Amino acid sequence: MKTLTIQVTVNGEAFCKTVGVNMTLLEFLREELHLTGTKLGCNEGECGACTVLVDGKPVNSCLMLAVEADGAEIFTVEGLAKDGTLHPLQEAFIEAGAVQCGFCTPGMLMSAKALLDKYPKPTAQQIRKELEGNICRCTGYDRIVKAIILASEMNKEG
Amino acid sequence: MDLKVVGKPVARKDAIEKVTGQTKFGADIDLPGQLYGAVCRSTYPHATIKNVNTEMALKLPGVRAVITGKDYTKLYGQFIEDQPVIAFDKVRYQGEPVALVAAEDLLTAQEAARLIEIEYEPLPVVNSIDEALTNETLLHEDWSKYNIPGACHPVQNTNIGDTFTLRKGDIEQGFKESDLVVENKFSCSMLQHTTIETHTATAYVNQITGEITVYTPAQSPFTIRPVLAKAFNVPLEKIRIICTAIGGGFGSKYEVRAEPLAIALALFTNGRPVKLQFSREEEFMASVARAPAQIHLKTGVKKDGTLVAQQVKIYWDTGAYVTTGPRVNYNAGFAACGPYKIPHAWVDGYCLVTNKSLGTAYRGFGVPEVACAHEFQMDCIAKELGLDPLELRLKNVLEEGDISVTGEVMQSIAVKECLEEAAKNIGWYDKPLNWTTQDGKLAGKGIACFCKLTGTPSTTSTVLKLNENGSLTIQYSGREMGQGVTTVIPQMAAEALGISLDKIHMAPVDTAYSPYDKTTTSSRSTFHGGNAVLMAAEQIKEQLLDLAAKYFQVSPSQMEYVDGVIRCKGEPTKAIHIEDIEASGILKEQPPVIGNGTYSTLNLYYKPDPLTRQSKRPTVMWMFGAQAAITEVDPATGCIKLKTIGAAHDVGYAINPVGCLQQIEGPIIMGLGHALLEEMIYENGILRNGNMVDYKVPTFQDSDVEMKITLVEKQHPEGPFGAKGIGEPGICPVAAAIVNSVNAACEANLNSIPIKPEHVLFRKED
Repeated sequence: MKTLTIQVTVNGEAFCKTVGVNMTLLEFLREELHLTGTKLGCNEGECGACTVLVDGKPVNSCLMLAVEADGAEIFTVEGLAKDGTLHPLQEAFIEAGAVQCGFCTPGMLMSAKALLDKYPKPTAQQIRKELEGNICRCTGYDRIVKAIILASEMNKEG
Repeated sequence: MDLKVVGKPVARKDAIEKVTGQTKFGADIDLPGQLYGAVCRSTYPHATIKNVNTEMALKLPGVRAVITGKDYTKLYGQFIEDQPVIAFDKVRYQGEPVALVAAEDLLTAQEAARLIEIEYEPLPVVNSIDEALTNETLLHEDWSKYNIPGACHPVQNTNIGDTFTLRKGDIEQGFKESDLVVENKFSCSMLQHTTIETHTATAYVNQITGEITVYTPAQSPFTIRPVLAKAFNVPLEKIRIICTAIGGGFGSKYEVRAEPLAIALALFTNGRPVKLQFSREEEFMASVARAPAQIHLKTGVKKDGTLVAQQVKIYWDTGAYVTTGPRVNYNAGFAACGPYKIPHAWVDGYCLVTNKSLGTAYRGFGVPEVACAHEFQMDCIAKELGLDPLELRLKNVLEEGDISVTGEVMQSIAVKECLEEAAKNIGWYDKPLNWTTQDGKLAGKGIACFCKLTGTPSTTSTVLKLNENGSLTIQYSGREMGQGVTTVIPQMAAEALGISLDKIHMAPVDTAYSPYDKTTTSSRSTFHGGNAVLMAAEQIKEQLLDLAAKYFQVSPSQMEYVDGVIRCKGEPTKAIHIEDIEASGILKEQPPVIGNGTYSTLNLYYKPDPLTRQSKRPTVMWMFGAQAAITEVDPATGCIKLKTIGAAHDVGYAINPVGCLQQIEGPIIMGLGHALLEEMIYENGILRNGNMVDYKVPTFQDSDVEMKITLVEKQHPEGPFGAKGIGEPGICPVAAAIVNSVNAACEANLNSIPIKPEHVLFRKED
């Protein structure tokens, strides 16, 4: 298998790694960097459990090759909390009861972060539209919508 | 009772780990030296295996083991041992494992699995309940060859894997006494749980002792341990199940699925662990599913709407192997007549085997399906008699002291209140049955109620360990799968012992040291686990009172335990708060303070008669609830939009009210999928939509539904603080209420789910 050396920044930390050209970004994060917070749900870009931010944009990391991320800045769920302080989205997900089994949660949080970066004060309709690619089987979604609105209000206060 | 911790909305104890990505699910386990497993699966739904050629696979560099059914011919199963770990003589469903590979990396393992050549001789395919019932092709030629360790009743020389009967009164006499007899049929599609985490297991075998260790997101480690021990012919204690977090269960992780495959490989890898994770395609095709059902009802009723007789025949398509079909058949059989007073009732249930994936446990264990049927029937009766659907239900519903169809005098029953509250939550009384909206949509309202039992008898044990600093560790094997058990159990311990919630921790679940709990299914954990924890807490209190009595040099009878304060009656200076226990020194050089609690429902249970199912008490806990729906249908496109669900569920006592609401909201949307979106489509045994593009679970956009929920609290006399279960009830009436609202909106009698736009437009009625 052909390999290439890539340089990426993940959650603010620089990495230089030689990877197979067929390795997905998801496999790279989980297996090479041991960042297992990002989840494999379907491997076909349908469930959103593997969502990470690549240069600020939400990406299904199961559909992107690691080599395509060369030079990129990547954010995963592990990068949300800073110095032991939870990100407002994380706090809001807990506060609003938007977490049940927790398997979709990392991807959901990253999609929500991208949404808030784009629309700091989103409406419920915008949230439902922008996050449609993230599937949750436990919550029925309503509390996730409420959590994101709650986080957007925390942002305003902060 | 002045309660401080229970009854209050509490943030989940497992939430911080989950929002930071630190929770370890099945696939997050990586062991040193681990190999990766891949499965060569049958491309035929039914065929004789003529030959398996593994030569090419074995030659591939990096391959460490290739095994076939010939290497391992033992059969397994919880109720009936009908299923091979790896198919050896024939395959009975598309995707059945035929060979297994372990290799240094996943791609090599997958490539090797592709290189395995299998010669099949196709057999006729049984694709449906109707085809199975002809018995022209038998999937299992001789049921009598199988060992039957559980309650399972196959019928020799047929495709019937299990039968269930319920008999009360004289059904024919009941129909004679009726003014009106209504007959209908209802069918439900095959569903996949579609947990976002697929089945995963990582196993290794100790080369000296033979002990098998498996990491798995299992729902019921103590249910699968004996199954695995028998399948691999080792003593029970030599199977060690280390539980990972569960990324969605809903019943799908009740059966063994990835575990036997990972273990079978690990027997051939010289001690190296083998990790095996199902792809989404494998999850759809070859994990588990909800059995499709066909339900026939014949109901006799008086002119005023009084139910007189009901005969129900239920056919389950449980797929290629029986698995948990008998339990679905049993639970649904008890619920098939609904929560109604019916003097003459007959139920016959059958599990049929077909060449499809395995139809087994799925949230509600068959009750959502029978609820669809009996509630569809109630609406048909209401229509025939010109009665309001709610009025008809209220007239017949079981109340305190009424006798159920299984002969039990009902107690602490609030199904009537649930119906009334659910109706209020959608404004039932102010609306006609159907109307046209301002933008030309056809709108309708529907209501449904249900009853569901919890599996009885069963046992749960807990061990509470007081740590030296006054914190508490709970060993309890009820599994957290999102339902919140690892929050409500500590809440109850906190209430009992006066220890603050943040000082109570749940130990990981590992069969090597965790106490026995039968299963995390049947909505049983709050009830059973809570009772066991309260018993264990009493032992902790007694031990602390003894230690404190010694310390204060008084007799233990002078001591009392109040809100976490261990004190001498009438002597305020002789008191220690549990949180100051370390500083007090009373634990120093003393035996450990450990409380055990075992809650068994054996003495609260009367075994139902095997033919009639009559029993004074067939279950320790009945669950009841109701939901009402408002749906709008676009007459031009057939597009169906669920607008509102009004729900009311009797939770007994809400230990964590937020948790209870979560357990109703999630199922409402899950049930929307069942009613309007989801179906596994099989053609001649081949699954046509086994992926998340073609199999539609509800998304954010689909789920914009107004939900109004009431928690009804009719305390259970034996429940911890009066609590009942709420893990499954939320799903039980959803699809039924939606179906009734769509039929009201369209003035139709659509009698199968999912209801799709084309069904509404073309009124495909049976």
